[in-house]
Amino acid sequence: MSVAAHGETIAAVSNYIFPNDFHVHWSLMIVLYPYITGLVAGAFIVSSLYHVFHIKSLKPVARFSLLFALAFLICATWPLLNHLGHPERAMSMMLTPNPTSAMAGFGYIYSAYFIVLLLEIIFIFRPVSVALGQKATGGLKTLYSVLAIGSDNVSAKALKLDHKIIGFLAAIGIPMACFLHGYVGFIFGGIKANPLWATPLMPLIFLLSACVSGIAGIIVAYILLRKLSGKDIDVDCVQTLIKFLWGFFILDFTFEMLELFSHFYMANHHWHTLEALYSGPLYNTFWVAQVGIFSVIPFVFLMFMSLIRFKDGLLLFFAPVISVMILIQVLLMRWNVVVGGQLMSKSERGATTFHPMWLEKEGILPAIIIMVAPVVILWLIGKVLPFWMDDKGAEAA
Amino acid sequence: MEKKYKSAYYSHVVKIALILIIAGGLGVWARGLFLPDTMGQYGHYRGSDLEDQRNVELRNHTNESCYECHRPIRLIHKAGVHKTVSCEVCHGPYADHIKDDKYVAKMPVKRDMEIKALCLRCHNKIIRARPEESIKVVAMPQHLEEKKVDVGHNCNQCHMVHDPLLWVKAAYEMMGMEMKGDKK
Repeated sequence: MSVAAHGETIAAVSNYIFPNDFHVHWSLMIVLYPYITGLVAGAFIVSSLYHVFHIKSLKPVARFSLLFALAFLICATWPLLNHLGHPERAMSMMLTPNPTSAMAGFGYIYSAYFIVLLLEIIFIFRPVSVALGQKATGGLKTLYSVLAIGSDNVSAKALKLDHKIIGFLAAIGIPMACFLHGYVGFIFGGIKANPLWATPLMPLIFLLSACVSGIAGIIVAYILLRKLSGKDIDVDCVQTLIKFLWGFFILDFTFEMLELFSHFYMANHHWHTLEALYSGPLYNTFWVAQVGIFSVIPFVFLMFMSLIRFKDGLLLFFAPVISVMILIQVLLMRWNVVVGGQLMSKSERGATTFHPMWLEKEGILPAIIIMVAPVVILWLIGKVLPFWMDDKGAEAA
Repeated sequence: MEKKYKSAYYSHVVKIALILIIAGGLGVWARGLFLPDTMGQYGHYRGSDLEDQRNVELRNHTNESCYECHRPIRLIHKAGVHKTVSCEVCHGPYADHIKDDKYVAKMPVKRDMEIKALCLRCHNKIIRARPEESIKVVAMPQHLEEKKVDVGHNCNQCHMVHDPLLWVKAAYEMMGMEMKGDKK
């Protein structure tokens, strides 16, 4: 774009900005992409806590969190396809794998994880698919038959085999979920030209915030869906989720602050730019919102909720409220990293501004649509594979 | 008594393994089908892309293209301290103005205080990206105060934008004074 077309932007920027640094190219869509993959990875971890680490109290959400992860994983590529344009070219990166490009690795990393998640869901829900398929008619019967991979065998021997495979898939799924999201953090952490991003801590921070957002997402969805359908809520399960949320959030928040503190303490030649960024354009979204409101308050509440046994009613009120705050914290963190990193010029002498618009291609409305889509997909999945039905329930139905 | 099932207890596992193998095979087959012929001809990219890139319309031109029509500006710009500054830096890409040697649209021109913002993009003292000999940098409004002019003045009230020292030099000459650091 011409310099002449940047009249208004020039008036808004401070100090010296290179001509190619005016415009924030990685906008809302690139904020959502790590946010959605984070929810996927976190939800998968919840499921694995039950299936691999045998945290029995998480049984009520173990199956649901897999479907939750699938619904969001289906939409994880949408922000990228919208951002890049030309979705018809998406498969090119599968055709011409480039071992030296971290970004090009996404296609294979994403696909491999998708296959593992899908297989785990198929194996876990197979008895349900078989039972529901016997009662279904027409197209739904075919669908259940496909989901059961054309097998009706739910004998003890078959289930034992399934159980072994589920354990294996969940076990390889954990490193894969960590790799998928750690990789997203690496995409940012590996950009050496940007001092806000270029830190080996970035994959770790992304991974921990992913776990945090996934657990918070499961708490909100579980309580909300059970309340809406008038079913009982397993308080013990919520209490355990809150404890895990606190544990992961301690690590997440500590590393977020440590990363900033190490920049401050080392005070290398980039620090004056970062300091100007954190005390200027990012002051409200980082210090006030991300750290002040949406980290410190949930941190204190989570501590009390984990250490003191709240009354059930109080726990079921605070758990979703605090979880929503955590979800906002993680979204703000993505915003401050993705957009914040682009607000400073590579000249390290100035900053630009960014205000998302409602109706543009990568604006607020498309962002809302992309965030609502997984919820709709989850609802559709729930029509086929009931969230709360276990194998015994399926036989009874 | 054990219930009778139509499928063997391992049948679904075998089927999934087969599906994965077939999917992998289809992937390899699709790769052969869709991979561009010239992929990898020179490196990890489509060789024919070089041809495509050569045919991309040029958006930017050199100052000489502008001078073909803008003769008077040519004389001023080429003689002044801004002679190495590309016309497009301030006016935008050539292609917005001329297509196939035909006039298509007026070039956007900076007016009023926009000019100040434009000048300060290079001449702001806070940048200090290059030595003083290469580029004059000023702080605003100190520069105006030093020169004893109204602080509301715009840059182009003293400086001719195409040759910023043209009028200044003329004023010094009229007064019979010598300019500080005048390199001629």
